[in-house]
Amino acid sequence: MTLQFAPVFRGGNLGLLRLASLLVPGQHREEWWREWRSELWHVRQACTPQGSVSWKGEREVTAFCLGAFQDAFCLRREAGQKKVPLATTKGSAAQCMFFLVTITAVSYGIALLCPGVRAEILSLRYRVPQNLTMIQSARYSQDSVPTISAEQVRMWRGRKQQIFDGFAFYQIVQKPVLTGSQEQVALRVARASSNLFELLSLPVRFASPGGEAHDDMPKLILSDAVWKREFGEDPLVSGRVVQVGLRRAVVSGVAPAGYWRLPGKVDAWLLEPDVDAVSDGAGFVVAHLTPSAAQERWSERWRMSAPTPDGTPDDFLCVSLAERTRESWDLFLFAVILAFLSLPATTSLPLGEYRLSSRRLSWSTRLRRWTFLGGKIALLLPIVYLVSLDLAYMRTTLDTPSSQYIQLVSSFSICLFGLRWALRDQRQRCPVCLGKLTHPARVGQPSRNFLAWNGTELICVGGHGLLHVPEIPTSWFSTQRWMYLDPSWEILFPESGLVSTGYF
Amino acid sequence: MATEAKLSHTAAMILQAVNAGYVYGFSVMEMTGLPSGTVYPAMRRLERDELIRSHWEQQSIADAEQRPPRKYYKLTRTGKMTLESSRKRYPLLAKLIPSEQVESV
Repeated sequence: MTLQFAPVFRGGNLGLLRLASLLVPGQHREEWWREWRSELWHVRQACTPQGSVSWKGEREVTAFCLGAFQDAFCLRREAGQKKVPLATTKGSAAQCMFFLVTITAVSYGIALLCPGVRAEILSLRYRVPQNLTMIQSARYSQDSVPTISAEQVRMWRGRKQQIFDGFAFYQIVQKPVLTGSQEQVALRVARASSNLFELLSLPVRFASPGGEAHDDMPKLILSDAVWKREFGEDPLVSGRVVQVGLRRAVVSGVAPAGYWRLPGKVDAWLLEPDVDAVSDGAGFVVAHLTPSAAQERWSERWRMSAPTPDGTPDDFLCVSLAERTRESWDLFLFAVILAFLSLPATTSLPLGEYRLSSRRLSWSTRLRRWTFLGGKIALLLPIVYLVSLDLAYMRTTLDTPSSQYIQLVSSFSICLFGLRWALRDQRQRCPVCLGKLTHPARVGQPSRNFLAWNGTELICVGGHGLLHVPEIPTSWFSTQRWMYLDPSWEILFPESGLVSTGYF
Repeated sequence: MATEAKLSHTAAMILQAVNAGYVYGFSVMEMTGLPSGTVYPAMRRLERDELIRSHWEQQSIADAEQRPPRKYYKLTRTGKMTLESSRKRYPLLAKLIPSEQVESV
């Protein structure tokens, strides 16, 4: 075999040793690497003949290198036995995590108990279909006002369209509804074109597969609240004939709570076979963009000019339904990003008050500390989401914009203060055992601030160190400092089980 | 470490090898015929138990011989006492690895 392979073998052996060295604890790694590299040199000298490469020799050298893994594992096991346990007293990391998990569970429990919040959580399963647009008159700024006449929709439907390939119309009216129990209740009924639910891809529960017996009647879809209140949550409600105003309609299903996101609060939807049956008067229009129009990638809001039934052109505002029906999850994400951006303005970010120390924590201790901080923030986010939903949707009488406003403000506030708390809590914990620092003691006098330090001193009950927090930041003592105590202090501390020299 | 501490045969053999003058890992491997994955961890445990101690060879010596410096091991007082008791337990130990110094450190 030629010598050109010798560097390849040498490199391969060193690579094996380097790989094994990654298993060695950081504090031993340098010396371990030095010893094994030195030994490898001598092994190679002994096993491989000068000036050539032999398979037998290379096999012996490789076997020697593989033994390094066992040695590395051995060192790792020994280091693991010396791992510092977490603090177990009041204010320990486990207690903090338990506290956060409890708050998450409580806020989720409240969410399940409140119908509005539960409906909002369940509605997360629904995604508004793409390429849907709400059309309204450009003369009105608020989309909660019905502005499009049924005649206008009839005209649009009758003309050849290049932009839209489907229209759905609805008009909300107060109607007396005579349920099966001969009780008459006044409901907000949306008289809509029959394709409304299909266009919005809204699910319908308890829909009867047949229903052909009453094909000539308009279909009535009940809201979840009306179904529970007026129909006693009857799962066989579909097919029942009810009196809506002066007409008879057949119940054809129940719309799940929280899915309706278009303007207007609705108790039931009366789907007319033809939009012509809808009386004159203003309503709301949802239109579906043609594929070619959708590819134009228009903005979320755009204006168009179209002829009105009286022959004159008018301006209309088209708003993307996806943009209009911003979901609670989008609001939450926006609030969280805003809170993260605002955080530096409200508190100092670094946890590096320990940088001045000449000692350096082992990577596992540092990883545990950062994992704890990450865990706190990870548990904080569901709390923010659930509590903000609880606040926003606890009262079902609020309209959607008000609920969204409450959710946005509460999400931002809770997230910002939660992040501040997470950082402050982290700074007040021992970096080694993550226990809460205790026994605050005032040190120094304010009048002597320029000659000596003046502030508060906190101590770790495990005896890992002291935290010095300056009362007045000065150029020479601006941030808090952590001072590690060596193991000779062990006997002074009650949690002696936490004391160990293995954390550096 | 108590002087009466009982070592395994492998550990006793390594201790005997170090005492016999095989003072670095590879020479112990060669003498005992044990693989590197056994010798080095065992030597770390012996060092942890203060039966042997290690030191690095001076850089100047290694430079003069154009090789990397070695880590040498040496028996401690406790190690010598433990080896004595191990020899009684394993009578063939001294025959397997004679105690003559094979290399001066």
